[in-house]
Amino acid sequence: MTTVAEKREKTDFVKILLTQRIALLAVLIVVVVVTFFINDAGGYLTAPYDFDYMSASLISAVPLAMLGLAEMLVILSGRGGIDLSVGAMVSLAGMVFGFAYGEWGWPLWLAILATAGFGALLGAVNGFLVSYIGFPALIATLATFYAYKSLAIVINNQQPISTKPIQELFSLSRSVELPLFGEYVPNVPLGIFTFLLPTAVAVWLLLARTAYGRRLYAIGTNDVAARWAGLPVRDTRFKAYVYAGLISGLVAVVTVGQFASARPDAGVSGNGMALPAITIAVLGGVAITGGIGRVSGVVLATLLIVWLNAGILLAFVGNEGSQYQLLALGAVLVFAALLNGLTNRRYGGTTS
Amino acid sequence: MTAVTEAKIRRRVLPSPITGQEIVLVGVIVLLWAALAVSTPAFLTAGSIQPLLVATAPVALVGVAMTIVIITGGIDVSVGGAIMVCSVLTAKALVGAEVNLGVAVLLSIAAGGVLGLVNGVLIAYGRVHAIIITFGTANLFMFLGLRIFGSGTVNGIPGTLAFFGRGPDGRTLGIPHAFLITLVITAVAWWYLRHTAGGRHFFAIGGDAQAARLAGVRVQRRILLAYVLTGVLVGLASCFVIAQGTSTLDQSVGSGKELAVIAAVVIGGTSIMGGRGSVLGTLLGALLVQSVVSGVTQLGWRSQLSDLFVGIFIIVAVGADLLRARARRAR
Repeated sequence: MTTVAEKREKTDFVKILLTQRIALLAVLIVVVVVTFFINDAGGYLTAPYDFDYMSASLISAVPLAMLGLAEMLVILSGRGGIDLSVGAMVSLAGMVFGFAYGEWGWPLWLAILATAGFGALLGAVNGFLVSYIGFPALIATLATFYAYKSLAIVINNQQPISTKPIQELFSLSRSVELPLFGEYVPNVPLGIFTFLLPTAVAVWLLLARTAYGRRLYAIGTNDVAARWAGLPVRDTRFKAYVYAGLISGLVAVVTVGQFASARPDAGVSGNGMALPAITIAVLGGVAITGGIGRVSGVVLATLLIVWLNAGILLAFVGNEGSQYQLLALGAVLVFAALLNGLTNRRYGGTTS
Repeated sequence: MTAVTEAKIRRRVLPSPITGQEIVLVGVIVLLWAALAVSTPAFLTAGSIQPLLVATAPVALVGVAMTIVIITGGIDVSVGGAIMVCSVLTAKALVGAEVNLGVAVLLSIAAGGVLGLVNGVLIAYGRVHAIIITFGTANLFMFLGLRIFGSGTVNGIPGTLAFFGRGPDGRTLGIPHAFLITLVITAVAWWYLRHTAGGRHFFAIGGDAQAARLAGVRVQRRILLAYVLTGVLVGLASCFVIAQGTSTLDQSVGSGKELAVIAAVVIGGTSIMGGRGSVLGTLLGALLVQSVVSGVTQLGWRSQLSDLFVGIFIIVAVGADLLRARARRAR
């Protein structure tokens, strides 16, 4: 016979899992990693799933998490905010980076700065259309997705740029030993420190420690109330798209480094980069209606997907693995969405 | 007397049969065709227009259903994946079991209907935002499609579906069957949406779902119907897709189609916010997009440049609609 206290403890636990997205993600990550460790010990995987492998697989977390954060910023801004054009922006900004660094011989820091600035400019076009003209975000970014995608392919006659300086950038995606205690933990991909961590910290500071962040949550929660409170609603929403473009520009640099080549279809080939990025944001607890979402949720959601995908890749032979990754991504997203719906009805929404 | 007042009421309740957006689109298409006819004499010939109409058909057909979905305030980004599942399933049946035309079409429609049912149940009864659910099911459908593909392509598809194809078997009096069927379905949908209570319910849900519920509309059942209908038309469109291709079906089938369909719908003047839209505009939007694609190729420009024009057309078309809406509010 369970006492009342025990019962309450149990429902509290369920409530925390349902309302605190971070708690749920943490539990899921543990479940995924333990599952693959057990499979590994049983010899069911084609290669060992250990800390070294998990650490090396983080290389794919860099673009995914950064674009997830970019999507979070625009979705937070509310009024149906979404950015379908991030993949196309990565392609186009990547070509610009290829020209600047690979063809014109600019110094690396200047080329990166110019690419980020160019990405921000592309984002500004989105922001202008959405915020100042009043286009629904889905339509405006669908249009710019087509336009940027087309320009990226036409700009260099469909040819990738892979001159010597670009090829040498591949070293950006190597793994490094951490200082001080590096010999005790696996090597970590360099991109985590040069791109992902700075971006995540910058976005966190922006959202949690600046007036702009408070304004962004305010307009996402209630557009009209924010306007009557005298907030610069248009300017705030506009900037969210500019920041998303800026992050896409940085992802372009990462992607060029990973491919050792500036590919005109880098961000739009296959499924593109926008769909996974939106998936990560939603899985990370960002409410599609705006005003709710945290950096930690997006980062944990990325870790979950990356480690799940890495394990799936080892569990199947050949290209079956990449097919089952689609299944996993789709199932996790539908599951998360249904859970959100349930939470909304039972507890009136997630707090994170 | 009563007949007159009834006619008056009817005029007031019903929107005008043709929207401003559609008149503009007809004008743009006429101008574009005239310009193309002047610059490339080969454009205004049967050999050029017929393939254009055949290529328009699948996007326009799925667009009809997508218009209804968007009118209810939803969206379906999984149609690309659904096209993949239906076409590979049908192609495999054509190759392996050598089924005839009718069975192939029924199979494809049934498969599409099941996929649409999955979306519809999740969206209507799971009460989750449509874009998120369909992003998820898009991945699931693609997984399903790739599993059916097995490895590589489906080869040696027989010409059973030539009735819908580009060849001489696919035409009556010079008009491609695929386009003719699309035209008929668009006309039926136009009449249904404008003149029946069931059709008006879709608009009511998109305008204000809560108010529609209180007015006695079975909101969930209507939403379910919209997504099942999308699946059914995706099934039929998949037959067109197979018929258009060669005897080989590769794994890129359906990829990016969801965005092409949504582009046609929004160019046609349907509001992405729901509550307003027309299937006629969608048909014209699909025709415009396909004319641009075909024109860019015939002018000898780089074919990828057509995407840039599609983007510009979306901005211009929706921008014009926004301006008109602003003028309506100001009045």
